[in-house]
Amino acid sequence: MASVAIVGVGESEWGRSVDRPLDELILDACRLAIADAGLQGHDIDGFVPCTPHPAADELAASLGAKRSFTVKPGLEAGAGTVGAALLAEMMIEKGLAKNVLVYFGYKGSKPGGPYSYHAEDPVKAAFEMPFGWYGQPVYFAMWAQRYCHDYNVDPATFADIALSARAWAQLTPGAQKAKPLTRDGYFEAPMVATPMRTLDCCLISDGGAAYVISSVEQARDLAKAPVLVGGVGVGSTEMTMGSIFSQNRPDPLRFGALESSAMAYAKAGISAKDVDFAQIYDCFSISMVLQLEEMGFAERGAGAAFCSLDRIGPGGSFPINTNGGHLCYSYLPGMNHVVEAVRQVRGERGDAQVSRKSVCAIGGLGGNDHATLVLTEDR
Amino acid sequence: MSVPNFPPPRDIDLTNPFWEATDQGELRLPACSVCGAFQWYPVPGFACHPEATRHWREVAHTGTVFTFSKVERAFLPFGSEPPYTLILVALDDVDNARLVTVLVGDDQDSVAIGSRVELSPTVFETHTLPTFRLSA
Ligand SMILES: [Zn+2]
Repeated sequence: MASVAIVGVGESEWGRSVDRPLDELILDACRLAIADAGLQGHDIDGFVPCTPHPAADELAASLGAKRSFTVKPGLEAGAGTVGAALLAEMMIEKGLAKNVLVYFGYKGSKPGGPYSYHAEDPVKAAFEMPFGWYGQPVYFAMWAQRYCHDYNVDPATFADIALSARAWAQLTPGAQKAKPLTRDGYFEAPMVATPMRTLDCCLISDGGAAYVISSVEQARDLAKAPVLVGGVGVGSTEMTMGSIFSQNRPDPLRFGALESSAMAYAKAGISAKDVDFAQIYDCFSISMVLQLEEMGFAERGAGAAFCSLDRIGPGGSFPINTNGGHLCYSYLPGMNHVVEAVRQVRGERGDAQVSRKSVCAIGGLGGNDHATLVLTEDR
Repeated sequence: MSVPNFPPPRDIDLTNPFWEATDQGELRLPACSVCGAFQWYPVPGFACHPEATRHWREVAHTGTVFTFSKVERAFLPFGSEPPYTLILVALDDVDNARLVTVLVGDDQDSVAIGSRVELSPTVFETHTLPTFRLSA
């Protein structure tokens, strides 16, 4: 039985480059999430920052919160923002807080872009960068190549993931890449690193996003229908963050998603078959495929074929990334997926509303970390 | 096709012995000083033998392509002129370690997973990059 629910979500303005300080964008997102819940700043009594700045005490003072009790995830990127729900749940279940604010912000437009983060890892700087093995698209291209080889997959199969993301984005206000895309258009897009094209890669975005978690009892008295946290799971492999993309494992195409999803489903009392739709961290088309296989939606090696436009796109039987995801909507790692899932479960998505919306699984990847979050309607 | 010229950091004890070896035409990976098990990439301690020190063992100059990609965009802040072909090499007789490197040679477009490769270093002013070529 769920003990907590997501009661509010918020996103600041976002785009390829937003000329405002990141702290301001994050503050906007937090205010919107709190207002969405029908709460006020002074109701927030717990913080889960998924970003170094602003620190929770400064944010609390800006919001009018009376305390700034903070728990920080050690998980990275999408695993951090999705797995943060587990920390909020623990804080509330332990009686340490009543209304927990999870917040994140990112300036993808900063000098060096999303790549520079990896230059700070000494082993990557010493053993990868001098060879030009640098930039997340390069790592994932190597995995895509190996995946296609091991499972006899035609790389052209990945086109449907880009087409589906674009189709959802066209139904979603504010999506960064919403111009119509044809199948030919996908194959005309430049190659970044074989077999991956530009349209297999996520956007670069500036923006902030936040969500508020409260106890289920309190949630039922708030502004909107509660979206229950059915279960959260976390997983990782035996590799380090520095070695995860290149080194040996018993199964090199495995993330921690097998572990995280099993944990989340067990807590929620469901199996993968009970999931109506999903939001899966799509930093690249291949990463989404690998996760959805581990999360139990397709057999190993069948994930790329599973992602046909008519199945995962608008009107499909198993919708995935229903706002266009990180490929077409925005790249605030994992956060865009959580916000979208909440809006879908509430039934707020208009033209992009999925028909079966009772159970959503969210997969968040961050290097060697993975988190799965199951959200359900309050039934 | 090109080979990136992006000098490695040379002031880090944890990683520099690799580059000192390549300057001598050798290929060395860190291993446990007690049992010889490779530890790639290096981390501060050895789980197999806590008393061990890091020993840089010479490894084979041949291997098999585990995966590859032709990189067509520049991601490094400087020093790369795409396209270039990256390979991940499973070195012969080395368990639990794969070498990230660049494929050189006019025939590199014929690379495939499983291709046999051998060391063929590229010498720059600041460092020697242990690049590989397809074996005949
Ligand atoms: Zn040992």
